[in-house]
Amino acid sequence: MSLYDPERDPVRIAGRWLRWGFAWIGLPLVLGIFVSANLDLRSLPLFGPERMSAVLFLDGQAYFGHLDDSGENGTLLLRDVYYFKNSEGAVTGVPVGLVRRGTEAHEPADGMRINRDRILAIERVGPGSPVAQAVQVERELTHTSPGNVSLNRTTVAGAAALRDQRVAAEHDLARSWTAAVDQLRKLNDLVLPVTKAEADQITEKAMADLRTVRRNGLAALGTEVGMSATDLDAYVRSTDPLLDGQSFATDVGVLLAPDLDAIVNRATQLYGQVGDAAAKQLTQAKATPAPSPSPRP
Amino acid sequence: MLRWLIAHRRRLRDIAIAFVVFVAAMLFTQWWDFTVPALGRAQYQAVFLTNGQTYFGRYYDRFGAYAKIEDVYYLQQGQATDSSGTTDTRIIRRGHELHEPNSRMLIPKSAILFVEDLTDSSQIAQFMQRDAGR
Repeated sequence: MSLYDPERDPVRIAGRWLRWGFAWIGLPLVLGIFVSANLDLRSLPLFGPERMSAVLFLDGQAYFGHLDDSGENGTLLLRDVYYFKNSEGAVTGVPVGLVRRGTEAHEPADGMRINRDRILAIERVGPGSPVAQAVQVERELTHTSPGNVSLNRTTVAGAAALRDQRVAAEHDLARSWTAAVDQLRKLNDLVLPVTKAEADQITEKAMADLRTVRRNGLAALGTEVGMSATDLDAYVRSTDPLLDGQSFATDVGVLLAPDLDAIVNRATQLYGQVGDAAAKQLTQAKATPAPSPSPRP
Repeated sequence: MLRWLIAHRRRLRDIAIAFVVFVAAMLFTQWWDFTVPALGRAQYQAVFLTNGQTYFGRYYDRFGAYAKIEDVYYLQQGQATDSSGTTDTRIIRRGHELHEPNSRMLIPKSAILFVEDLTDSSQIAQFMQRDAGR
């Protein structure tokens, strides 16, 4: 009869403990560290706000979006990307405008792979920041679904944020209109090569064109925020007179959602074109018929 | 039900232990943030970057590709205030930009030129200390 008892063999016992320790301690430990390294506990689905990152480049550019930095191959993946464009001197009162990545000439698909060597810093975007609000409103405008079942759920703006941005865009349209009208008035104060009656006629036509641009801008805003045809007409009729005579000069600048910003920019561009056309007419003397050469005897 | 619990008590114990270890590892990692302990260093550091910018704050070396700065400040050059052309330099706390970043900034180690400790007599360190106490 053998005295060897496998149940009491210290090597077997140690092996059993090692297997148990690996399965129930080691594996959960590694898994916990791995999950925690790639997850923000304050932003779990249904518990925390959206986790949006700002990726600052060495050349000064900044991109915003959902960052995936779990890869170890030297690149980061940024999804749902937005970035700043220069808007110095724009009517929005903010020196930059927000652009949604994907609307460029080459129409890139979602997912930007960034070389880590070109990155200066990574920061977390504040959930209530102007950038976050503009992005959330843009999602509402593009009918993006919130996507609750996600490790980093997408936040879409509510009605209040959408209204705030619409009102800010209306004020921008009004400010731009006021600037164009002021420009026309200043031109009329100059000594012009046209008669007073002609100047009045040109100015009146330009004012009507400017008003049409503003109304069309409001209509575009209403369409963008999803108004029906009947609501849209009522909205333009009621809002247009409210903007008259108000400069909104003391308004704090609001970073607009890209689609609303595009409407304001287009309107500003058209105001400029109308103003330029009027300025050209006002400052150019009407061509007088040249004297016909008399036949020499 | 009770019988089932008694029959599977060992497996249930193992699952409970694994769950506790998993949660503890997650919480520890969130607290630890992969920072490398640094003894005897100053409270604040200046981090000089390859693009010429300098950030001030509490610098932490971390395992992996990134270092971390907490409570970040930077210098901003203003317009010349007089005819001599001397510019107005201000120290700004990061967080009031359009994206309102939180106090934690990750920086790829490849973007860092060098890091220096700030002495206690440093005007910038004193400003940050006063600002943090507010």
